[in-house]
Amino acid sequence: MKKILWVLVALAAMLFLTMGLRWLVAPEGVAAELGMPLLDGIGRSAQIGDMGSFFLALGLFIICALTTAKRVWYYPAIALLGLAALSRTIAWLFHGAPLVVDAIVPEILISLLLLFASTRLAEQD
Amino acid sequence: MALKSSAVLSSISRLLMLVGLCTSSLIIADAQRPPNVVLILADDLGFTDLASYGSEIQTPNLSALAKAGVSFSNYHTAANCAPSRAMLLTGVDSHRAGVPNIPETMPPEQAAHSHYAGTLGDNVVTVATLLQDAGYHTYMAGKWHLGQTPRQLPSRRGFERTLALGDSGADNWQHKTYLPIYDRANWYADGEQYQLPEEFYSSRFLVDKMIEFIDENQHDGAPFFAYLPFQAVHIPVQAPEEFIDRYVGVYDGGWHAIRDQRQQRAIELGVVPAETGMVEMASTTQWQALTPVQQAYEAKRMAVYGAMVEAMDHHIGRLVAHLKRLGEYQNTVFIFSSDNGAEAMGEAAQNSWLNRWALASQGYSVDYETLGLKGSFNAISPSFASAAASPLAYYKFYLGEGGMRVPMIIAGERVPVKDQFTAAFASVIDVAPTILAFTGLAPAPQRYGGRRVEPMIGRSLLPLVDGSADAVYGEDDAVGFELAGHGALFMGQHKIVLNRGTYGDGQWHLFNIVLDPGETNDLSVENPLLLQRMLARYQAYVKDNNILPIPDGYRHERQIVLNALQKRYADEILISLLLILILLPFALAYRARVKRRPE
Repeated sequence: MKKILWVLVALAAMLFLTMGLRWLVAPEGVAAELGMPLLDGIGRSAQIGDMGSFFLALGLFIICALTTAKRVWYYPAIALLGLAALSRTIAWLFHGAPLVVDAIVPEILISLLLLFASTRLAEQD
Repeated sequence: MALKSSAVLSSISRLLMLVGLCTSSLIIADAQRPPNVVLILADDLGFTDLASYGSEIQTPNLSALAKAGVSFSNYHTAANCAPSRAMLLTGVDSHRAGVPNIPETMPPEQAAHSHYAGTLGDNVVTVATLLQDAGYHTYMAGKWHLGQTPRQLPSRRGFERTLALGDSGADNWQHKTYLPIYDRANWYADGEQYQLPEEFYSSRFLVDKMIEFIDENQHDGAPFFAYLPFQAVHIPVQAPEEFIDRYVGVYDGGWHAIRDQRQQRAIELGVVPAETGMVEMASTTQWQALTPVQQAYEAKRMAVYGAMVEAMDHHIGRLVAHLKRLGEYQNTVFIFSSDNGAEAMGEAAQNSWLNRWALASQGYSVDYETLGLKGSFNAISPSFASAAASPLAYYKFYLGEGGMRVPMIIAGERVPVKDQFTAAFASVIDVAPTILAFTGLAPAPQRYGGRRVEPMIGRSLLPLVDGSADAVYGEDDAVGFELAGHGALFMGQHKIVLNRGTYGDGQWHLFNIVLDPGETNDLSVENPLLLQRMLARYQAYVKDNNILPIPDGYRHERQIVLNALQKRYADEILISLLLILILLPFALAYRARVKRRPE
């Protein structure tokens, strides 16, 4: 059970790291996948800088959690994903964005997975 | 102001050229208006793939053109697509024109050099540009493969109206790439990306487009140059069912029988001398070793090939008939040829499960019943390619005669000599000068458009088709070719050749290709002095054209895969490497922690 959980969490980390690297190496494709064009000028800088660091940080926090088995490393990752889901919902409620269930649901599910993993995989606080 | 002056000068220049054209045309064409020129290029057509050259494939329209002019039995190209096309359109050696090889098979060691870009350089002027300057309408419909940036497309290289395929090939039934090295099939119309219509078959559509272009300006009295480079019979080999049906059963006897049959027929027609011998390529497998099911499948693959050639001929016939209806036929010079010899890249086991799986991932089937039709992928294997090149040795990508020697027909009412073969040596660099000679134009000056340009080195073949000479190259004139480390030099009746790669031995050989076009009798031992003399000329050719050495162990089959991986998956490879670099320290830390953990 623990092994399966460990593998699932590791796969999530790989996914986020890959997304982050794609923002650095080939941003046009990943931008299109997230429903946005690759902007010009300062917008492009913000897109690549912020999105790249978001996904890389997310992946690195999870990897740190798995490597050290310290529960504290799970919390930033859970916070980032949870806030992403919350922000998407706010965007829908107040800013005219569509409700992207396809993105919000996985974000919540992975947050819950990480929360669960933090109670089962972490050895110490 | 400078722009205005330049425009005025350009107009005056065009006017003077037009006057020059009219004056010289008076000399050439007995006071007729300058001739139209239709330059038709087949893709990967073997030496004996036309009926008039000894084939069992029915090509009545090309046979009619052969009767209306001169067929060349000793005409040579660069053995590969883009280099041949660059030489064809410019009259300049491919190494000077920026296209020594196709970019798809170029090794990175060579691709790093500017003259090995694999795209037509700005230092050469196409024959289309010269004709356009002289007042010709210039049209192109078909495969370009000489560069795809806006500056490199045919609409910027002298063609007024274009429908061009930028890639090395594409599906013949739909807007679809045939190789995973391309994201999509890159078609362009007048320099802009173009989406093919749903109802599409390449040979029919290209001729329809050409007819449309010709009709647009038919009433203004200006002559036209029509460049029609077909996709036929490049991979994927596909054809309409009604044509395929005519060839079912024709190839049941196998490739040995077809190769022998074509050799005999070519001898009877006078295409090659009576004593012409043949070698059997190491790539040829034994037909009798195949099961009946395998034989039937191989025969169907070749039947589709024959059908594709006949379909091309059929649509050429439509173009010729259209020109007759317009009253333009009498004033049109036709040149037909192929970019190189038969292609032998088809898998020996095309319907193996592995190949089926790989092609299925591209949306292709290789089922017997639908072979050649929409949604199917087909190519002939090296064994039948050898039959298509009969009686010659080797095929495309190699400098054996099977890769270089292809049919060429120059025909029309303006061609005085009718229904004859010439065995005079000719090469692809001679086509552009020949077109200029027919139209009475001069080659580009040393500087063109404000920059220095390469001079044409080809020779006009007009003396061969007007009967005024038996040869345009003397016994001491040497013509060199180099392709991916293979080398060849023609001088008089002789040729030295070195083939590398999967089927080459990396050694120089000497042949008398007039008496022995099959390259069966190596004369290098009995005539070492001639070999040395020709080798010296070849070395001079290498030096003069700044030809780069090929990396050790180069194989075009492997390079195309490596280049494809690099082009299509470079980002993915880089991301994977970075991911590994990021994860490595964590993996080491994790391992150390696990080891430290008490039992």
